[in-house]
Amino acid sequence: MYQLNDQQIDLILTDLRLRGIETESMRMNLLDHICILIENQLEEDGDFEKFYSTTIRQFYKEELRELEDEARLLVALNKGRLLLSRNQFFLLLFTVLIGPFIAYDLAWMVQAGPGWVLPTEIWSSTIVFALYPLLVLLVLYLTPDRFDPLIPRNAKVLLGGRSVIKVLVLDIARQ
Amino acid sequence: MTYSPELLKGTLKTIVLKLLADNKKMYGYEITQRVKEMTREKIQITEGALYPTLHALEADGLVTTEVEYIGKRIRKYYSLSPTGKAAAREKLKELTNFMDTMIALLEIKPKMA
Repeated sequence: MYQLNDQQIDLILTDLRLRGIETESMRMNLLDHICILIENQLEEDGDFEKFYSTTIRQFYKEELRELEDEARLLVALNKGRLLLSRNQFFLLLFTVLIGPFIAYDLAWMVQAGPGWVLPTEIWSSTIVFALYPLLVLLVLYLTPDRFDPLIPRNAKVLLGGRSVIKVLVLDIARQ
Repeated sequence: MTYSPELLKGTLKTIVLKLLADNKKMYGYEITQRVKEMTREKIQITEGALYPTLHALEADGLVTTEVEYIGKRIRKYYSLSPTGKAAAREKLKELTNFMDTMIALLEIKPKMA
């Protein structure tokens, strides 16, 4: 039976944090689980680092933070926070960005009454100020997954909670 | 033969709640081992599925926790809260009902003893 020392426990804890396990409770659970596996399965003179890296790899499919994301998702589903698909999220961003400009232009038209002509400074400012963020949005939306986009195709976006906006990359095949 | 993760996904919460109902308190590793043992390794709960579920059960107030210090690390024990006990009964009833429906739907004939 392998005996873990304090330094090795610290190393595991730090690694869990660096791999995206932010919740302390989750980190403690994983630490205990990993320690039990190491103590039960590793020979006394075994290679700790090699065994640890092989063991931790079995916990996830792409990256360890999947566990953190899955936990947040499960909590969110029961707390009534807003969970949006990728398309819904971009549609919301698009509406938030362009909405005020459209509303302003519409208000001006209503105020101007019949026979209105939208002055150049109003529609041109709409285009100038809305165009840049919209282009950025379009680039984000169209970036293929192979370029590691901020919001991958299979992601869900969680609105609300501590981090306000949280991108959850879901692996529906995982148990 | 082990069952596919897709098949188990919807039942994990029920499995955990039932185990906690039958055992006063359990910790994560213990749950995975108990399930493995009880199902003769046909069901193997992964860490990636178990810990998010436990976290969510705690956030929903269905389980309470207590910690035990083992040197530098902490072992977290889970037990059912009063709400959790009711939820365990409810989930078990729902799953039993679901299994009966599936048997009828798929026309599965019970094995003769």
